[in-house]
Amino acid sequence: MELTPEQRATLEGARGPFLAQCMRWLVEWGEVMGARRLIPVANTHVLLPVPNLMARGASPRTIETYVGGLKEACRHRIAPGCYCTVHTLFLTLDELDVPENAPDQVRLQREVSELATLAGFINTFTCVPYLVGNVPLKGQICAWTESSAVVYANSILGARTTRHGNESALAASLLGVVPEFGVLLDENRKGTLRVEVSAQLSSPADWGALGYFAGKLAGLGIPVFNGVRRPTQEEAKQLCAALATSGGVSMCHIVGATPEAPTLGAAFHGEAPAEFVVFTDHTLRQTYASLRNFTGEEIDTVILGCPHASLREIAETAELLRGRRVAAGVRLWVDTARGIRAYADQIGYTAIIEKAGARILCDTCPTNMRMAAQRIVTNGFKQAHYARGMLGAEVIVAETSACVRAAIAGRWLGDE
Amino acid sequence: MSEVLEIKARGVTKGRAAGVALVADATLSFWGEVDPVTGRVIAVGHPLEGQSLKGRVLVIRSTKGSSATPMVLSLAQLEGTAPVAFVNLEVDSLAALGSIVNRIPMVTDLERNPFEVIRTGDQVEVDADCGVVRVRYTD
Repeated sequence: MELTPEQRATLEGARGPFLAQCMRWLVEWGEVMGARRLIPVANTHVLLPVPNLMARGASPRTIETYVGGLKEACRHRIAPGCYCTVHTLFLTLDELDVPENAPDQVRLQREVSELATLAGFINTFTCVPYLVGNVPLKGQICAWTESSAVVYANSILGARTTRHGNESALAASLLGVVPEFGVLLDENRKGTLRVEVSAQLSSPADWGALGYFAGKLAGLGIPVFNGVRRPTQEEAKQLCAALATSGGVSMCHIVGATPEAPTLGAAFHGEAPAEFVVFTDHTLRQTYASLRNFTGEEIDTVILGCPHASLREIAETAELLRGRRVAAGVRLWVDTARGIRAYADQIGYTAIIEKAGARILCDTCPTNMRMAAQRIVTNGFKQAHYARGMLGAEVIVAETSACVRAAIAGRWLGDE
Repeated sequence: MSEVLEIKARGVTKGRAAGVALVADATLSFWGEVDPVTGRVIAVGHPLEGQSLKGRVLVIRSTKGSSATPMVLSLAQLEGTAPVAFVNLEVDSLAALGSIVNRIPMVTDLERNPFEVIRTGDQVEVDADCGVVRVRYTD
């Protein structure tokens, strides 16, 4: 890779050992991914989590070393002119009734969050930065973590980011550059898999099913959805999250809807392939069934908001819960960003939701904590997929109103 | 008796390491599908469910899923439960980053289909510097 004299000097330690390490990560990463140069980055989104491993028996030294690295990074300033947001987790964990988690988690996370603010990062407290003000423009070079947000930024907004980890996004934030490879380049943004959609998609969860189905087939490629209407923002959110759960997708195209796919041909940068897979109503039902592993009817947990709920989703949930009561022994959590929660408080949705015995949870989500949950109903395919292994829970994924009905009844009543 | 098969490969992340192969023609997300404390795969229904990655040469199609894969790999490395090398059919940017940050050798583009010539339990040496994978078959 060709470096400018300044970049080379940073690599050789002119700006200190930590920035030299950051430059080494970006240069080596770029080289193995086929980049020829580093280019300026306009916008980053970094995850700065204190790993939730204390209660799982990790050695204190592991946490200390990892968190030490995050703190060291935050002793540097973000690159001038770069819009950098972060997501820190767990700050409200102590408000929840989840004693399975180590209280030190919250203290350490607060320290990292404060340092990140001093470094110039803007804390969004969320996995959906694009719902709370970080909305990059079409063509803008970004360095985002949060696999679901990466797909959203590339596909729905037309911005450009490869799949970043915390380390590369941090390095990009401090150095103001990213290696140029993958979907940052025009030629790597063409479709690789044609998916004809004949199913009737009627909820965000249905779009999650489409993503969960296509992500597995697309792998690291770029699926192109044809024959489907324009999704709502919430439907697009579910589609993107599911694509990055079953697959390693960076972006997708929706013909006639997303910015780089005015036509089927355009999505493939020329001729569309004759071969395609079809997503039918039958495939839709099968995809829901593939994740469901309930062995009974009773439920203990309902999770809405993976990725974090939009204000509209909170409004809908409040409407479904108005004047109702969540069954005894069932927790219904709506996960969202603090900024969205603040609106919900102001408008009155929070009061309705809390009056019904449900809660609005900020910063984090159940797969990032320890909690006793045996039977979970959720409207997010990503949540359902990971909750099975991480929480050892049985799951059902369903659209929002079916989830809320189950919470009120205390048992799974079916989709209709 | 043992027999050694030498396969040319493309080095992704430099370094050399040897270990017992753990093989699945499947994708894997480290966050959410691997517990870094035990090193075990926790994804329900995954072909490697319950298997430990500790000290193994991990032969998979590619990583997928969460962007916290490099982080989980770092934590596994600190806990001493990480794989010692990666043999991947395709390179996901997150596996590449995780292997660079943690200095775990990684190779791809093998001349032979790894899922046909490497079985779980084979002794495998990954030399990403020279671009060679050596598989030692023992009876």
